[in-house]
Amino acid sequence: MRKLLSLVILVSLFAMSDRVAAQDNLSPKRKQAVDSLALEKVRDLSKYISIIGDKKTPWSDAQRVIERAVELFMENSEIGVSSLGRQDVNYYKVREYFDRLMQLNYDRVTIDWYKIQYVSDLVRQPDGTYVGVITIYQRFQAYDKEKGLVYEDTTKKDITVYVKRKETQIGGRLIGFWDVMLGDIRVKETSK
Amino acid sequence: MSEILNRITSLRWQQFVIILMMATVLAGTEGCKSTGKLSKKERKAQIENAKKQLQPIIAGATTLTYDEQKRIVDEIMNKNYGDQELDEMIIEAQKKLKSVLAAEEKMNAQKADIAKASLYDLLLNKDNKSADELQRELDKIRAQNIKSADNDELMARLEKKIQEMRTSGGADLPVKSQLENAFNTIANAASAGNLSQADATIQKTLQYFSSDDVPVLIIISREGSMVDYDKPTNIKRYLNLLKDTKTNKNAIDAIMTDTNGKIKGLDLIKK
Repeated sequence: MRKLLSLVILVSLFAMSDRVAAQDNLSPKRKQAVDSLALEKVRDLSKYISIIGDKKTPWSDAQRVIERAVELFMENSEIGVSSLGRQDVNYYKVREYFDRLMQLNYDRVTIDWYKIQYVSDLVRQPDGTYVGVITIYQRFQAYDKEKGLVYEDTTKKDITVYVKRKETQIGGRLIGFWDVMLGDIRVKETSK
Repeated sequence: MSEILNRITSLRWQQFVIILMMATVLAGTEGCKSTGKLSKKERKAQIENAKKQLQPIIAGATTLTYDEQKRIVDEIMNKNYGDQELDEMIIEAQKKLKSVLAAEEKMNAQKADIAKASLYDLLLNKDNKSADELQRELDKIRAQNIKSADNDELMARLEKKIQEMRTSGGADLPVKSQLENAFNTIANAASAGNLSQADATIQKTLQYFSSDDVPVLIIISREGSMVDYDKPTNIKRYLNLLKDTKTNKNAIDAIMTDTNGKIKGLDLIKK
């Protein structure tokens, strides 16, 4: 009986370690899927920022999109704002940043993100979280009804990305999902 | 000869009538004997015939239905022949009929259960059948003519669902195709700046679902039994995501529907 019990425990441990190993050592295919997922979240954010900044976006839609955008970030994350006219960079909590973006005092604003790519690959940390840095270029253009284009700049920004595998029960199914959370968005350089 | 004729002609008409009545009475009594009472020989033949009819019923070797077998046994019993051996056979046949009835009821219950399960599957429409395909399956089940109040109710619900599928636009398209079309419409309309069309399609698409909170899971990787998902969302958020991002990057992997035919779960997979 004891031998049988030991055997059962041994098999269980082996199965568990196999499962843990499967999660820790991601195959190239799975790693690529996780990398793409994090990039996709940043691309989603770029669309959200464009919608929030667009003066034609109805207020209710902008509010809804702000909620979705805030959910992409870790709590207390900050977003840097730079300007060609000043040296320093102002940092705002994400919700405040989006509120200010919605209320920018121009008649028309266009914001485009491009060259969205990893500058630092996702690397597994001791606690199981994968951390990486994605860089983006932001083209900002502001228009006045009468004067036309009144301001434009291009800013290179670094976004820290945190990805962790979690599990949840949905409809009786155990779902293993990758939770992608964005951290601070740091301004690296601003140019005309 | 002439003497006989003379005698006949000499009979008075009253005498002729009396002779005729006697003949009628005699003939009448003879007729009763043949219909009302059986001769020993006839009775024995009928008993033998009844036994012959009962034998295959008792042996379970008949191809007759339960109702037909019961009618035969009842007819024999009602004739009340008073033959001990036949009476014993009648009891045996009745016992056999009881078991036949029980077996028939069991078989009907099994058929009803199978039909019920099929009807539930069709209502859930796991295989994304079109309205025409569902109608064909329903007709097959209906042709079995199984008596079951539950199944009648399920068939009525399925009929209603088929009608709704036909009238909801996209008619015979499977739900999967209708959803994929809706997802593309939302993304394309938003990309073209037609937000009112995107919003209208979102509202229309939500009607396929049991609620706005129906979970949507997006598979990002599948390797053997290891499946990786994106963070779970719900259908309303997902449809708005299509509108906001202006792209449809996922294909439908599985659709789970409830007994009312509404979608209660949706699995997507990265294209």
